[in-house]
Amino acid sequence: MTRPPLIQTVNLHKSYFNDDVETPVLHDINLAIGKGDFVAIMGPSGSGKSTLMHILGFLDRPTAGQYLFQGEPTEQMGEDTLARIRATRVSFVFQSFNLLPRTSVLENVMLPLLYHPAITVAERHERAVRAIETVGLLDRIDYLSHQLSGGQKQRAAIARSLVTEPEVIFADEPTGNLDSHSGIQVMEALQTLHREGHTIILVTHEAATAEHAQRIIQIHDGEVTADRSDFKRRVAGKGVALK
Amino acid sequence: MYIRDTLTMAFRDVRVHRSRSLLTVLGIIIGVAAVVLMTGVGKSMEGVILGQINTLGPTSIAMWPGAKGPEGGALTMNTDFDAVTVRDIEALRQLESVTGVAPMILLGEPASYGREEAEATVVGSTPDLYGNQSVEVTSGRFHDASDEEGARPVAVIGPDIVEDLFPGLEPLGKRLEIGGRKFTVIGVLKAVGTQFFQNQDIRVIIPFSVAKAVKQRDYVDMATMRATGDIADGVADVEYLMRKRHGIVAPPSDPTKNDDFLVRTAEQAHDILGTVSLALTVFITMIASVSLVVGGIGIMNIMLVSVTERTREIGLRKALGAQQRDILLQFLVEAVVVTFLGALIGLALGVLLDFLIVLIVQNYLSTYHFGLNPGAMAVSLLMALGVGLGFGLYPARKAAALDPIAALRYE
Repeated sequence: MTRPPLIQTVNLHKSYFNDDVETPVLHDINLAIGKGDFVAIMGPSGSGKSTLMHILGFLDRPTAGQYLFQGEPTEQMGEDTLARIRATRVSFVFQSFNLLPRTSVLENVMLPLLYHPAITVAERHERAVRAIETVGLLDRIDYLSHQLSGGQKQRAAIARSLVTEPEVIFADEPTGNLDSHSGIQVMEALQTLHREGHTIILVTHEAATAEHAQRIIQIHDGEVTADRSDFKRRVAGKGVALK
Repeated sequence: MYIRDTLTMAFRDVRVHRSRSLLTVLGIIIGVAAVVLMTGVGKSMEGVILGQINTLGPTSIAMWPGAKGPEGGALTMNTDFDAVTVRDIEALRQLESVTGVAPMILLGEPASYGREEAEATVVGSTPDLYGNQSVEVTSGRFHDASDEEGARPVAVIGPDIVEDLFPGLEPLGKRLEIGGRKFTVIGVLKAVGTQFFQNQDIRVIIPFSVAKAVKQRDYVDMATMRATGDIADGVADVEYLMRKRHGIVAPPSDPTKNDDFLVRTAEQAHDILGTVSLALTVFITMIASVSLVVGGIGIMNIMLVSVTERTREIGLRKALGAQQRDILLQFLVEAVVVTFLGALIGLALGVLLDFLIVLIVQNYLSTYHFGLNPGAMAVSLLMALGVGLGFGLYPARKAAALDPIAALRYE
């Protein structure tokens, strides 16, 4: 028996309802993403790419169709179960970093562990330090979030997404608020994580950013318009281990 | 999530937002401080009055003519005003269970010296009076048995009388005038101030035999005495003797029903005071509780603002795996922690103000001492906790119900 893909959608639909007026956002999405893949979901704003990421990341639910995670159907799951999955199996890197203000890097990175049912208080510190080391921010571990540069903030956010050792990391326009130099650093970090075996789903509207992935799924008006792996892949930085 | 994490977060947040937290709980601080202060002052006043009662001594017994009032407490002084006679007093002196029986006749006359006139409480009594009330002389002497026997026109006067009639003069040996009669001053009483709403320093004490002769009567206005043993035995003996002498018969269910006299002890005064002060404490605590509830509305308002301000943080926490319960608990615990800290500040503030009031009032009332009501303090702390929990619930539920995607997008 072959292992089911990590993420699989079958005829996935999503509509928003506003005063009984239906606004369809996603139609008939059929996708399969395997463990260890680095996939970019690319599309212009309003294409539905963020909605798709929210559904795949258990922040939202489809209106119709199926979403299978590691072969398990998810539509019957309750709020608390979805929260549990977000706590343990997926994680997010946001465009605007979303670090807690006036809080140290260490505490920000430890934050998801508060909601993790299996990680003890004693383990938290060690895990957080390891994640911070991975993104090369050990020398800033006690800095407060507002004392960091944009690139450092996003690296702290990446460390936060690593700390629970999730199955998938969702990165939503991770370079959108950064200058090109910092953006390269962040993409370099994501590529390194991918090389180390992490599954990464990158959401972006820029082709140049998307080309850091192995595969680009293009979304337009709520439909998958292209799904290709035959492009010249960009390698950020020197492509070596993170500092 | 562990409750310890929630507490850590709450304390951290209160610390980070110091001034906002302070504003949040201003109402609670004022409310708790008000309860502590007002019940503390009440306790101090109770102490003052208790002190006055205690100067009478725990064994002291007082008796007045007059029937018991309809509610059992009030005196009806206008009937039976002549019920307690000098012969009753002599009979009471034969009892073994009481001693120092001091009859009192009041002369409703001012005292004067030359052109000076002073408001005075003129009391004719026997030297036993001095033993029943803890009075002292600062100069001269009390009147004694020989003054009584000789019906000598002598007077022991209070310090306010000295000030009014003999300013800058030596009062001893001077002859003051009461109702057209001259009395030689033989002693000056030590100042004691006001007791039971009566200025004790305007007293003029003259021999009982003289007062009796002036008023030409054989009944008394009041008598005081002390129990030699158990005070209840003393009271029982006095009542039994008086009823027997006055031929009073009453049903056993209400033995005081037909009495034409009233006997009271310091202990009864204690009990009455206790009831009054409890009622006052409850009243004050209820009034101050209103400010706690108003304070609760303040907490709710600022918590709602805080939830709005932290919408993105809530969205983030949910995206990172927080369940509704975790968010609810976080905001609820924060409300309770901030309220409890506010209540502690209020407690400290109330104690401090109470202490400052003691420093001021002691200049005027030396028997006023620092007092606190621990019961009322505990109640106000518990109420503050309840208010924090009650008024924190709505904002916390609002926070918990936020949609993570909308919350993350919130600007």
